[in-house]
Formats: sequence, C-alpha cells, structure tokens
Amino acid sequence: METIATFANGFMDLFRAGSETFIAWVTGIIPLVVIMMTAVNSLIKLIGEDRVNGVAEFATKYTVTRYTILPVLAVIFLCNPMCYTFGRFVEEKNKPAFYDAAVSFVHPVTGLFPHANGGELFVYMGIAAGITQLGLSLGDLAVRYFIVGVIVILIRGIVTDRIYAHMSSKK
Amino acid sequence: MAYQAVTIKAGKGGFGGPLTLVPTDTRNKVVSITGGGIHPIAAKIAEMTGCPAVDGFSTGVPDNEIMVAIVDCGGTARCGVYPKKRIFTVNVLPVGQTGPLARFITPDIYVSAVDESCISLADASAAAVAPKPSAGTPTNPASAPKTKAQAKEEVAKMNEGKEKNLATRIGIAIGGVVNKFYAAGRETIDITVKTILPFMAFVSMILGIISASGAGDVIANTISPIASTLPGMLIVSFICAIPFISPVLGPGAVIAQVVGTLLGVQIGLGNIPPQYALPALFAIDAQVGCDFIPVGMSLGEAEPETIELGVPAILYSRVITGPIAVLIAYVFSIGLYS
Repeated sequence: METIATFANGFMDLFRAGSETFIAWVTGIIPLVVIMMTAVNSLIKLIGEDRVNGVAEFATKYTVTRYTILPVLAVIFLCNPMCYTFGRFVEEKNKPAFYDAAVSFVHPVTGLFPHANGGELFVYMGIAAGITQLGLSLGDLAVRYFIVGVIVILIRGIVTDRIYAHMSSKK
Repeated sequence: MAYQAVTIKAGKGGFGGPLTLVPTDTRNKVVSITGGGIHPIAAKIAEMTGCPAVDGFSTGVPDNEIMVAIVDCGGTARCGVYPKKRIFTVNVLPVGQTGPLARFITPDIYVSAVDESCISLADASAAAVAPKPSAGTPTNPASAPKTKAQAKEEVAKMNEGKEKNLATRIGIAIGGVVNKFYAAGRETIDITVKTILPFMAFVSMILGIISASGAGDVIANTISPIASTLPGMLIVSFICAIPFISPVLGPGAVIAQVVGTLLGVQIGLGNIPPQYALPALFAIDAQVGCDFIPVGMSLGEAEPETIELGVPAILYSRVITGPIAVLIAYVFSIGLYS
C-alpha cells in the first residue's frame, strides 16, 4: 500500500514541477506580451499598410536597404508569415535572397516586437527566461539580438543572392 | 487515364473536412510540401485520383494547377497559407485552427490528421456538389460580404452631398480609432490563446518531467559544455544548417523553441554564462524557415523556376551564413552582462 502511495506521489511530482513553470510563464510573460502586442498591433493598424508599401518600394532599389529596411519593415508590419508577401516589390532574381533575409528576422524581432511572431516566441523567450532568473535585465539582450539580426540578414541576403546568381548562370 | 474524385475526412484528433477533391485538366497536381520528397499520403492521393504527385519543395507549381497541397505543418505557417489562397489543404499532423492565419483554416478547405484510411473514392453525387475553389477569390463566404459592401456603397452614394457637421465627424474618427485598438486587442488575445498558451503548456510539461525525473542533470552535463564555448556553438549552427537536416528541423520552430528553453534553464542555473545567450540564439536557429522556403517565396509572387533554384541556393547559403551569424553575435556579446 505504502509503495503505491509513494509511487503516486512521485508521479504527481513529475507534473507539479511543470505546473510551477507554467504559472511562472503565464503570470510573468503573458501580461507584458499581451499589452505590448496590443499596442504595436494598434499602431500598425493606425499607420496602415498603404504607407508602408510606399517605403517598401523605395527600399527595394538598393542592395543594402533591400536586405535590411525592407525585411525589417515587412516583419514588423505584416508579421510572420504574411511578411514574405513583400517579396512582390523585389525583382525576380532577388526573391530567394529576400525570403532568406525576411525569414531570418522573424526571431530576432521578437525581443523588441513580440507581436511580429507570437507563435514562435520561445526561441528568444526560452533563453531570456534564464537571464531573468539570474536577475539581469533583458533590454540589453533584446537590443543586441535585434541589431545582430539586421546585420545577419544583410549578409544572408548578399550571400544567397550570389549563390542564386551563380546557380542560375550555370543552368 | 480518367481522373477519379476522392473524399478525404479528418483522422483521429483532426479538424475539418471531409473534402471532396475533383481533379480537372488544369488543376490536377498533388503537391507535397513536407520538407522534401513525396509524402506517402500525397502518393496515395495521387495514385487514387490518377493525378501526378509533385514535390513542392524542389519544384515550383503555379497556384492554379494545385488540386491539393499536402503539408506537415505544426501550426504556424503552411497550414494557413494554402487555405488563405483557397487551395485544398491536407495536413498530416493533427492541427486545427491555429496560427496567425487561423481564420482562413475552415472545414470546407482544410482537413488534418489525415492517414491513409481517411482517403476514399468519392461517389458521383458528392463529386457533383463539390465546391470549386479558385485561387484568390473565396467562394460562398466571400460573396455575401461583397454584396454587403455594394449595399454600403449605395448607402454612401445616397448620403453624398449631405454635409456632416464637425461633431459627427469627430465622433466617427474616434469610433474608428477605438475600433482599431479593439481589433488589435482581439488579435492579440487570439494568438495568446491559440498559440502561445498551448506552447507554454506543452513545454512546461516537458521541462517539469525533465527536472523531476533527473534527466535535467544529463542535459546540464552534455549541452552546457557545448553551448558555453564558441567552437561548440559553431558546430551546433553548422549541424542545424546542413541542407538535408535544416528543412526537417524547421517546422513551427518547435525544435528551436524547445532547445532555447532548455538552454534558458541552464543559463538560469548558472551552467552557461549569460553573455553566451546572444550567440546561442543564432546557433540554434541557423535552420530558421528552411522548411518554408517554397511557400514563402510563392507568397512573394516568385516564379516557379525561381523557387526551384532558390530552395537549394538558400539551403547552401545557410551553411555559410549560419556559423557567420554565430561569430557576429559572439563579437556583439562582448560586454554583455559583465
């Protein structure tokens, strides 16, 4: 009888640890994320897609802006996965590189703008939870993640462009 | 060979359907977008209908030739993109209306948790009443709002010429703004309930079991040493970026999210120095979006030929840029939390 009771307790303990994590996340992460997402979503609706489209058309002209400003705007304003539709502003030969740049930004964006990829927050939030646990502030990490993200998508855009150009010239 | 119509119903725990697929001369491709290769379900549907099965990952197919798209989407992107285009979508995973495009995932266009037993030949009467989806223009649901819009237009025309006074105009403007705020709140709560909370539930369960069962120590002893050195992280990013691995790791970023959470726990315990958080974020994410390349590019209105070459171009590029990203992040982590 006692062994069964011990076993039952151990079994419940397996899930008790999980429930504590769950409570910590729901109370610690969700309220802030909900308010931030609502604020940014409202702002985006107020600004309207048309005005963003104007900037996007301009940003496609230069290599540097095509793989920085354009994907960043697309991800912030249209969110994952509709951000890839901004590919329509880009010339055919640059479309693979644009997709690569845009999709590579859907996680670096979440530190500062969680609304942009609400379904995949935990790439950042999972690691950020450890930083919070140490009592350190997240601002520094979020900003650096964003900046490095922009640099990485620029490099990725340029490299993918080269590889694609090389492959299509061979064909 | 004459085409055969088939009916597909939802499997155990699935959502949507039953769908009746009626191939036509133009719309007859069974496209498998499952990270490369033809999924057995796609092969089965192709065999029963007499339609060609196409690997949508390596071959681009124009939207108007797709009879049905087979996906293995965990709930973020692919499962919504095709329903949004009003293309019949079969998800082999038990995923319902979730993700940012949840509102497009409706039972008349989407069916999930499909296995081979769900597919049967359609009888003639079912084929006759089958809805005909057309890319871009939704069928019945959209025709109603359209006429509503026309009605609105008529009302607006009738009101033309009548000057609105200042108070009314301010009132209307405020109403518009408030409505936008409200819609933003609703969208946020929607995604919180449909995707963020379920993910939290599933990961906290796994984490709980790991920590209570003692498996946590094993992870601490294996992952932590790798993730707290630069060479270790370069290797991780390289593995994630290997062209035949990256599309498999991609779906829903589930693997990156779980690994991120596990690393977070180790950082919290002090087994990994906090400044390594930044390079780690890039090391575990070299595969981001590799499962989604053809779909993402088609959203950007890329030609099928571009997609065909674009997929390998991006996969190869990641092998180079994955480790580079870790290096850059490593440089930028200097001075972080010290």
